[in-house]
Amino acid sequence: MDLPEYYEFCCRVKIIAGHDALERIPGALASLNARKPMVVTDRGVSGAGLIDIVTDAIKGGVVIGAIADDVPPDSDLRVVNRLANAYREQGCDSLIAVGGGSVMDTAKGVNIVVSEKADDLMKFSGANALKKALKPLVAIPTTAGTGSEVTLVAVIKDHEKHRKMAFVSYFLLPDVSIIDPRMTLTLPPAITAATGMDALSHAVEAYTCLAKNPLSDAHALAAIDLISANLVNVTKNPGDRNGRLAMANAATLAGMAFSNSMVGMVHTIGHSVGSVCGVPHGACMAIVLPYGLEYNKHKNGHLSAELLLPLAGAKAYAETPKNERTEKVIALIRQMNQELHDATGGRHARFFNEVTDREGRPMLPEAKLPDIARAALSDGSIFYNPEELDYDDFLMVLEAAWEGKPLDKSRIKKG
Amino acid sequence: MFLPNHYEFACPVKTNSGNRALEHLPVELDALNARKPLVITGKDTAGKGLVDVLINAFRDSGITIGVFDGVHTSPDLILIRELFRIYRDGGYDAVIALGGGPAVDTAKTLNIAVSGEPEDIETSAGENLIKKPLKPLVYVPTLSGTGYETSRYAFFGSNMYASHFLMPDLVVIDPRMTVPEDAKTTAATALVALTQAAEVYVSPGKNPLTDSYAYTAISFIMENLVTVINNPQDKKGRLSLANAHCMAGCAFSNAAPGIAHALGKAAGDACGVSHGLCMGILLPYVLERYLSLSGYHIADLLLPLTGFDVYAGTAEEKRTQKAVETIYDLQKELFKVSGGAIPRTLKDANVSKNILKDIAVKAAGGASTGLDSDGCLAVLEQAWEGR
Amino acid sequence: MENFREVKAGKKSFKKDYVAIMLWFVGKAIQAASAVDEDVKKEFAALPDYFTFSLGVMPDGPHMVVGKTRKGIVQYIGWDPEGRDIDLKMKIKNIEAAMLLFTFQESTAIATARNRMIVDGEVPHACAVVRILDTVEVYLLPKIIAKLAVKRYPVWSSGRKYAGRIMVYIRTILGF
Repeated sequence: MDLPEYYEFCCRVKIIAGHDALERIPGALASLNARKPMVVTDRGVSGAGLIDIVTDAIKGGVVIGAIADDVPPDSDLRVVNRLANAYREQGCDSLIAVGGGSVMDTAKGVNIVVSEKADDLMKFSGANALKKALKPLVAIPTTAGTGSEVTLVAVIKDHEKHRKMAFVSYFLLPDVSIIDPRMTLTLPPAITAATGMDALSHAVEAYTCLAKNPLSDAHALAAIDLISANLVNVTKNPGDRNGRLAMANAATLAGMAFSNSMVGMVHTIGHSVGSVCGVPHGACMAIVLPYGLEYNKHKNGHLSAELLLPLAGAKAYAETPKNERTEKVIALIRQMNQELHDATGGRHARFFNEVTDREGRPMLPEAKLPDIARAALSDGSIFYNPEELDYDDFLMVLEAAWEGKPLDKSRIKKG
Repeated sequence: MFLPNHYEFACPVKTNSGNRALEHLPVELDALNARKPLVITGKDTAGKGLVDVLINAFRDSGITIGVFDGVHTSPDLILIRELFRIYRDGGYDAVIALGGGPAVDTAKTLNIAVSGEPEDIETSAGENLIKKPLKPLVYVPTLSGTGYETSRYAFFGSNMYASHFLMPDLVVIDPRMTVPEDAKTTAATALVALTQAAEVYVSPGKNPLTDSYAYTAISFIMENLVTVINNPQDKKGRLSLANAHCMAGCAFSNAAPGIAHALGKAAGDACGVSHGLCMGILLPYVLERYLSLSGYHIADLLLPLTGFDVYAGTAEEKRTQKAVETIYDLQKELFKVSGGAIPRTLKDANVSKNILKDIAVKAAGGASTGLDSDGCLAVLEQAWEGR
Repeated sequence: MENFREVKAGKKSFKKDYVAIMLWFVGKAIQAASAVDEDVKKEFAALPDYFTFSLGVMPDGPHMVVGKTRKGIVQYIGWDPEGRDIDLKMKIKNIEAAMLLFTFQESTAIATARNRMIVDGEVPHACAVVRILDTVEVYLLPKIIAKLAVKRYPVWSSGRKYAGRIMVYIRTILGF
């Protein structure tokens, strides 16, 4: 077990996991002295019937003060302020966030406003600006997943002033996070695959990048073990409740890992592809993940090699010679992408030139790659990547990921 | 991996570990909204010069700190009353417990009083009777501890307190504090952690989160305990053991205590031997006993005990046996490397054979692991005799 | 009461002085490099007008402040951030962490990974500033030390390596 010169690890979120975890919410809120929650979610989640499931499970034990299901796909300051007003008007005393990253961020933003009685959210942006606990927040993720139910970050966009406000504080962590398979039971296969690979990339990068630490390593290994045993199966058999529970656990574990150990170039590139071309986050992660391991191999190959155990099992690990394990890991991830591609009827893309929108139109033209490479230079996750990447390096990786060819090792500049 | 159908887990502890970790305290306290901490420690820790190192870590921060370094092995309510007065009169807003055992129990009990009223010390005793968060509590470990420091438990006088609100908000593991101790102390502290972590890791009620903390603790102990006793100058090894000690307490707080823990504690109490050394003796015998009960995951234990390569290289059907053997081997190694100071059997530890029955009855009454007093007695007798 | 005392933590004057000197040097060198080096010029050109950033130690210094003036020229503004409009604040949590950084025991990347700093401001700007700092450190330090400070030691033309370094040094010391 590697002990770094210095590290920090914190995950103060209480986890309630199981087939009937939702029913425990009233008790959890009561122990936080809360009785009248406001539910924050989006139309996608309510449209899928998930809010009904949640309200059915909790209405015996709490009074639902308000349900706001109009959170946009991108967190918005105006929505935050509007929801905060609704919270106050209805006399709510806690928040329940049901959804993915944007819903979680919005709920965290609303929590700052209502707890600090803030008229200007900007005052609390940055790191460590919050000094005391906020109102109780219960997070119910509906994908498996972004892990944002266990992160201490919220990003809220101010569309009027064209700026992104980032909030970083341990006080933003939800008090409780609910892992209940009913929330992901109806996830379509392509989204199941993409969000599952997102979780895998969180775990892999947390294990192999510069801020790696023993506790996040343990969480990451557990996540990878669960994902490798369940993701493909759950994509093929969406109704498998045990598989869904396993993937939901994996996503939270991976979230805990990366929220403490950060991520690296896979996210740098993935974020940039997402911001320039609108490609969903998970899809980007799945494609770039093997390239990240290839690019960094001279720096962290010995760490990637260890991932063969959770990815392939003890027998395969023991039978693979030590110096072949890294390549095997990279191959296995590519193989996972292939299996998911097959299981989703081709919707899960294996490389960038395969990525299409719902109507089948390509989302990532080759001409956009230089823009994406430029955007990647502004993404903070690059700090934590073991090797440096400049514009040319980003472009090289993007080109290879676009075509679906492995990286040309001779072109990797080693620091 | 094993995934239970339902579980709950909470760990409010933030861990800061490594070079110059103490110097982050001003910023960390500020993040907890604290500006004036009261340091509580025992005379033996103070005598090692550790208090000065801690004070120096605050240089340049503009912070004033209070230091009380007189906690002895059996603190009483008179002490709590005095500390309560100091805390309130001095406008303190956080407690830093330096070193394990009585200093931490004192700190946690004081925290109950200053976060509410002194009467809470009586009314909060028991299971889950603390209803809201306490004032900020920081724990700075040395290599000596009871294993309860980061856990949800505190023991003061005849009272036991159990609540997640008692767990420290922050643990600061700094190599300047984890100074070498004698072999028995180092082993005792580590063996409590090993027992706590191993029992949680194999238990039917385990979950991926208790696994994460327990796995890390067990790995660190297996990789470092013998080497540190052999070479106390191994700074990284000592830091690793302190990490293990803290993580085991976190895992332990999210599961029911196991029988090795209960027996070790009862045996230690009955004979004045350290709990840790007794637990270390009993652990493999208890694991063998668990084999006859259902739902225990002993084969899994091989992974943190021996690492990836040995685990993967061991055939599935042989892992349980190898796991148990590894712990017997550890006992032999510890005995050897300490020149016989670390006992391998209860007989070596000067536990008298005729009180084994009392110990069995006491332990079986307390634990909830499906082992009755006859079962406990059988384990104790095996551990007394040795192999 | 026996066994109890109150202590006001002292100062770390020598370390503070050392870090103050290093910060001054780096600030001046950034000013110099912005006139000499093409990459640094490009980075600053992409930053907003009047962009100002500070690098300093919590809770109260030392600091260095660098900013773009009205004409787009980059200047070492001073050691006191008080009263200035600073877009990006890079705050090292304590003087010991600053010592680890400025004695090159921890590179900028490692120090970030080890939570030694808090960054207030926009992330893309922070990325640009770290790249600028890395380039300046390659100019200032002999290769054997610079390799500890940056993630990947760059391959530069000899013109940039030698002439550029001399120009940065002269400008840093003479202050233009």
